[in-house]
Amino acid sequence: MPKMLTVENLSISFRTSEGVITPVHDVTFGVEAGRTLGLVGESGSGKSISTKALMQLLPGNASLSGETRMTYTDKAGKEIALGRLKTGSKELRRIRGGEIGMIFQEPMASFSPVYTIGNQMMEAIMLHRGLKKRAAREYAIEMLNKVGISNASARVDQYPHELSGGMRQRAMIALTLSAGPALLIADEPTTALDVTIQAQVLDLMRDLQRDLGMGMIFITHDLGVIAQIADDVAVMYLGTIVERGPARDVIRNPQHPYTQGLLDAIPSVEHLHDRLKPVPGDIPSPTARPTGCPFHTRCAQAIAGTCDVTAPTEVSTIPGRAVRCWLHSDKDRNAA
Amino acid sequence: MLRFTLERLVGMVITMLLVSVMVFLIMELPPGDYADRYAFRKYSGTGVNVTEADIEAIRRDLGLDKPMLLRYFDWIGGIVLRGDFGQAFAFETSVAKVIGDKVWLTAGILFSTLLLTYIVSIPIGIFAAVRRGSAVDYGLTVFSYLGLALPNFLLALVMLYFANRWFGADIGGLFSDQYRDASWSVGKVWDLIKHLWLPAVVLAWSAVAIQIQTVRATMSDELNKLSVTAARARGVPELRLLIKYPTRLAINPVVSTIGFDVNRIFSELPIVAVVLGLTELGELLLRAYLDLDMNVAGAILLMLTFTIVFMNFVSDLLLAWLDPRIKLGA
Repeated sequence: MPKMLTVENLSISFRTSEGVITPVHDVTFGVEAGRTLGLVGESGSGKSISTKALMQLLPGNASLSGETRMTYTDKAGKEIALGRLKTGSKELRRIRGGEIGMIFQEPMASFSPVYTIGNQMMEAIMLHRGLKKRAAREYAIEMLNKVGISNASARVDQYPHELSGGMRQRAMIALTLSAGPALLIADEPTTALDVTIQAQVLDLMRDLQRDLGMGMIFITHDLGVIAQIADDVAVMYLGTIVERGPARDVIRNPQHPYTQGLLDAIPSVEHLHDRLKPVPGDIPSPTARPTGCPFHTRCAQAIAGTCDVTAPTEVSTIPGRAVRCWLHSDKDRNAA
Repeated sequence: MLRFTLERLVGMVITMLLVSVMVFLIMELPPGDYADRYAFRKYSGTGVNVTEADIEAIRRDLGLDKPMLLRYFDWIGGIVLRGDFGQAFAFETSVAKVIGDKVWLTAGILFSTLLLTYIVSIPIGIFAAVRRGSAVDYGLTVFSYLGLALPNFLLALVMLYFANRWFGADIGGLFSDQYRDASWSVGKVWDLIKHLWLPAVVLAWSAVAIQIQTVRATMSDELNKLSVTAARARGVPELRLLIKYPTRLAINPVVSTIGFDVNRIFSELPIVAVVLGLTELGELLLRAYLDLDMNVAGAILLMLTFTIVFMNFVSDLLLAWLDPRIKLGA
């Protein structure tokens, strides 16, 4: 499958009052058309800002490193260097929404409270589909129907606060999809929802993605959700991708100690009487990034003298998969 | 919206009634009344011996001997039913005559100051928030502190000096000599506008400084909202985005304090008016109090409070229009 998006060596730095921090470090990933890439990691691992960098949505004190390459192939097959688009350019505005759509964690906060759902949908439709007001309204109602909102022709004139949480996220999906993106970035879209609603929204997103043939980047901290929705997965820790591969394989047979820790931390009904097993320790502050492997401070299997000194490079022990860990690099080195 | 407007309208009328009672009580508060003052003024130094009975007679003449409640209804009834604010004792004519044009000139100064304040402070506050941390932003902050620190009358004097040097001599007052006593015409209105900007700038100065900081603060908050990022992520052009999403909510605290601004401007007006040689109501209010000329004082207070109550009503409607969630809580 051809990659619709390739991101290479993405590093993001922020100028802060405490000096320069680099929360995303040399990240490389890609998305194929029609497939879903899951980005997993704890809060602060750099999942969200990596995707925000694609659309130049980072705050003013952020900067990308010179080696960063972000290439997006649009619907017409044209290759676009995302990092080189000028702020405020027509091309960037076309990409935002029209080519790459984004759904955020909190559906309430991602709608403006002072305009109706329809107003905000029609805005996107008129911008990206070139429809006139009346046609845009028809289209908005059609999209609301499509995401399973009943009585769409009345809902379209309601304000976000008049809808329930699940309905709001459905409306947000409708809004984002109504601009016709080829790539959908979903940033923890179900985290703020009730579990039952969560499952409905996940099903909806998977179905829509298949129907529309979109590529998708699904950001979450929940490997359980990844199992349901993603084809491929990339596990992030402190701004680096520590493990990647087909979602099912990674979940069945995790290679990196961090991935193993994340899987162990998922509460399970079968082990009700056992204590929960969290990944020990806290995420180090981005201002005090550990030397060597960023995970060594929390890793039970860390090799003293190696892991805390040099950062491991990415190695592929199983075809189609990759891991960034000395435990596996050693084997690799011995084998070679 | 209609229901909300009606509710607020009823609320406004009730508030105005209560306010009129308060104004009347305030008029009654100072010890003594105009009868005492009149007797003192007429007979002091003449050697005439004024008895309690004489003052009582004057009081009866002026209608001040009736019970308070009755006088309140006479007073408010005259205003509501006939637009008659009563007799201005000290001027021996009607209040309407004494106040006359001053109402419109005062209103002119008030509203041009309000308008100027908002026209200047809102866009600048937004600009400062968007360019937060830039040299322009810091420059504006310095200006704001200057604006707050400078007393109005000093600013008025300085402005008067420069206006005089740059724009020719006649800048004090509200009219040129040729129009001062002329009847109203297009030329006179234009002349008024040419004179209004100076007091408006002086009075708006500190309000602009405060409101710039208010708008900058709320706008900075709004700019960080997810809804703004979400709108940007769907390709809304930046300028349209700024106006449509964060600005609409950021001007909320400015709109909700319109009533306070009216009050503040009116309080600052008399000093500025003295320096700039303006005719307005504030100074008249002070004199009416000194003379215990209660009908004049009452009329001015009533107009001021009604203006404030009315502007609060306007600001309520504007707020509801800006943020539809407000109507829910009504």
